[in-house]
This record gives sequence, structure tokens and C-alpha cells, in this order.
Amino acid sequence: MKPGVWHRLDIIARGLFPAFSVFALLLINLLPLSVPLLSTASPALALMAVFYWSVNRPDLLTAVTAFLLGLLQDLLMGLPLGVSSLVLVLVQTGSASQGRFFHNKPFSVMWWGFALVAIPALLVQWLLSSALIGALLPFKATMISYVLTAALFPIVAWVLARAQNTLLRYV
Amino acid sequence: MAQHGGPQQRIFSPLRTALHRFAFILLILSAFGLMLLGKADTVLIERIRAASADLVSPVMNVISRPAASINELTDKIYNLAHLYEENERLRRENQQLLAWQQAARNLSHENARLRDLASYTSPPALHLVTSRVIADMGGAYAHSVMISAGSRDGVAKGQAVISDEGLIGRVAEAGYQASRVLLITDINSRVPVVVENSRDRAFLSGDNTNRPLLTFLTADAAVAPGDRILTSGHGGAFPPGIPIGVVSSVSENAVRVAPMFRRHQLEYLRVADYGLQGILSEDRIRQSQPSNDANITEVSPDLPDGVGIVPAGPTGNDGTSPSTNAAGEAQ
Repeated sequence: MKPGVWHRLDIIARGLFPAFSVFALLLINLLPLSVPLLSTASPALALMAVFYWSVNRPDLLTAVTAFLLGLLQDLLMGLPLGVSSLVLVLVQTGSASQGRFFHNKPFSVMWWGFALVAIPALLVQWLLSSALIGALLPFKATMISYVLTAALFPIVAWVLARAQNTLLRYV
Repeated sequence: MAQHGGPQQRIFSPLRTALHRFAFILLILSAFGLMLLGKADTVLIERIRAASADLVSPVMNVISRPAASINELTDKIYNLAHLYEENERLRRENQQLLAWQQAARNLSHENARLRDLASYTSPPALHLVTSRVIADMGGAYAHSVMISAGSRDGVAKGQAVISDEGLIGRVAEAGYQASRVLLITDINSRVPVVVENSRDRAFLSGDNTNRPLLTFLTADAAVAPGDRILTSGHGGAFPPGIPIGVVSSVSENAVRVAPMFRRHQLEYLRVADYGLQGILSEDRIRQSQPSNDANITEVSPDLPDGVGIVPAGPTGNDGTSPSTNAAGEAQ
């Protein structure tokens, strides 16, 4: 029997969930919060989600999707165009190829992996943004941003893992 | 890297790997292409940015409300705890303000009479649009916020954005229902300013820290910590006299200014339309572009006298040194 239209729509909607979750995290990143620290440096939430999905479901978050999400991030945050796209595509491709390394390993291994991947990712972002703006951006803010990104990864990964288990088990 | 991604699928032809690798290279190249396109800074990019702000503004408008109410709650608790001290402080401040009010009344009366005598023409009436901050962008790389007002409400690119305390920044892109505001602390921000007491002219140049720099100060400028910094009105982008901040530190190679506002507490902002076209006006930029004459270097001829030309290069750390340049700017 052919699967019904609704069933197929359901599958498609579930398949779009990873990309949607990155988009949602982008918007959360934009929320104006009255925390003094977060106004000078914010955690790269989209980077966390892109890493998580490329390791766990590279078929649902492809390099093209990562590119488009990076473009959206640059447009929304007023950053130099193309930088986030490049960073996210590199992270997606790199992590997807190493994805099997993290399978059946404790979570701490993935956390370490992310902490390692985030260093070159934020460095490239900082270097290219500085080059395109034409002045060195303060490095301290990037450092704070890195620490926040690495420290908050377990929370984001936990939420995404819960969502993956409930929504994407049969997709 | 790409050939490792493939083998997860059982059926896997060399063609497919080649396609994957080609797509990867294509994506990397288009990222660099985007960088070049963005560097050219066309009107198109600006439109797309404005459109993307419009796209997410309804969502941000809704989800930023709970965030604001949580902030309100913490504020309330804090205020409750400091009620007594706050009351004392306000009482003292009120006394001082009453004295100031008396002085202001006398001065405004005198001012009105003097204006009558001198047949002074008043500046154009001010059109204010109040709007809420719905997003705070960037952090490490950009200092800008999104507000819930756009061309629908009369907001246009280049208008001054002020809070209760003073100048916040200017409108960088105006969409239909949302706009992006470039804060004065952003690395792309240059504001012509004047030191309140000594009337020394300078530029306030952001460098993505919370303390923007005073650049193009003359070598003999008398600046001390605590001096107030106001907009000078040169360049026609902002009206003169809007408070911006207070000089926080003076060292050999940098004078830093503490802005009046605190970024994490921005909530409601006012976009002020002073009827000034300014050097940011698109018409002027378009007019000044097609000068293919090799003799004309950087100053377009139609700019009025006293306009500060924003330096294009990385001049953020120059501090007080380029006195020759500053003299050229000032006159």
C-alpha cells in the first residue's frame, strides 16, 4: 500500500527539523537579555546545533543547508556576508566525515570534539571578519564567546538529543 | 574529507563522490563570492538585509516579550530591596533638579528674548518614533540591535537613534516593519563629536568594545576624564548637542569614552527624524560616485564645508597622533 499524503508530509516535516532547530537557536541568540556579559560576547548557538546534527544526522543537515543557515546568520546579525556560511560549511563537512568516530562513545567525547572544532571555527570567523571589516576585532570578546560556546554545548546537545529521540526515531 | 562521508551509504558510485566534492568546492567558492559581494556594499545587500529583518521581526516581536517581562521581574525585586536608598537618592536629586529648573526657566526666558532680538530661525521640528528593541545582534563581531519600527513608521536609513540618556546610534537599514540600528560602539560607526567644555572637535570611532575611541583630536586638545561628549552636527547626519558619553580614560595613544547607555538595558528607543539628509543619504552617495576624474581623490565636491569625511581604512587605533589630518577635518 502506498503511504498516504499526510504520512509523507509528516516525514518531510520531521526531516526539516534539524534545519529548523538551527534557525530557532539563531533567533534565541538574537533575544535581548539583560545580562551584561552576553551583550559583549554571545555563545555561538547555531554552531553547536550544526555540529550536533552533522555528527548525528548528516543526511538531514547537508552542507547546502549549513551554507544557507550561515547566510541567514550573517544577514540577521549584520556580520560581513559569507563568513558564517564558510565556517558552517567547513564544520558540517568536517564533522560529518568524523561522525562515526563519536558513535557509541560517551557524551564527554563529543563534548571534547566540539570544544576542539569550535576553536578553528571561531578563529576563522574572527580572522575573516577582521579582514573584511578592515580592523582587528577585539580578541577578548571572541575568547569569552568561545568559553560560553564550549560551556553551554551540553545543554543545547541535551535538548537536541531529546528532540532527536522523540521526533526522528523512524525518519 | 568528502570521500569518507560517502561510504555510509551502501550504494555509492564514484560519480556521487565527485558530485559531493564538487558541491563542497562550489559552496566554499560561493561563500568567498558572497564576501566580495558584501564588500562591494551594494544597495542590493542592504535591501536583502532589511528584508531578512522584516522576515524575523514578527517572531522576535513575540518571543522578546517574555524575555522582557522576566527582566522586568528581576528589576522589580532589585528595586524593592533598594527602596530606602533609592528614595533618599531621589530626594537629594529632586532638590538639585529644582534648583536647576529655576536656572533653566530663567535661561529659556532669556534665550527666547535674545532669539527675538536676533531674528533666529528655529531648526526644523523634530519627528520622533518610539519603538521597542526586539533583538540584540552579534556580540563579539557586531554591535547592533533590531527595533520594531521601519519605513512604515517613517524610519529611514541614517536617522539618529536616541534613548533617555543620549545618542545610541543610527539606523543602518530600514525594512518595512523593522530596522537595524548600528550602535556607536560598533567598529563601523564614526560620529562627529565635540568636547562640551573645550569645544574640541573629534570623531567618536567604535571598535566593538564598550568604550569607543576619540579619534582625530588635535594635538593641543584639552580632554580630561569626566568631560562630556556631544554630537557636533558636522556632516549633517546628526543635529548638534545630543549627549553621547563621558570621557572615561585619557592615555598617550587613546582617549576612550564611556557611552551614556548600557547595551544590555536598552529597551525602548526613539528614532529621531531631524529632517537632515546627511552624508549618509543615498542620493548624495549616488551623486558623488560617478566622478571618474583622476584628480578628484576622495572629497566629493557637493559636500558642504566642515563635513567630516569618514576615513575608510582601519584608523581605529590612531588616537591623537594624526593632528595634521584632524586639522584638515576640522576646517
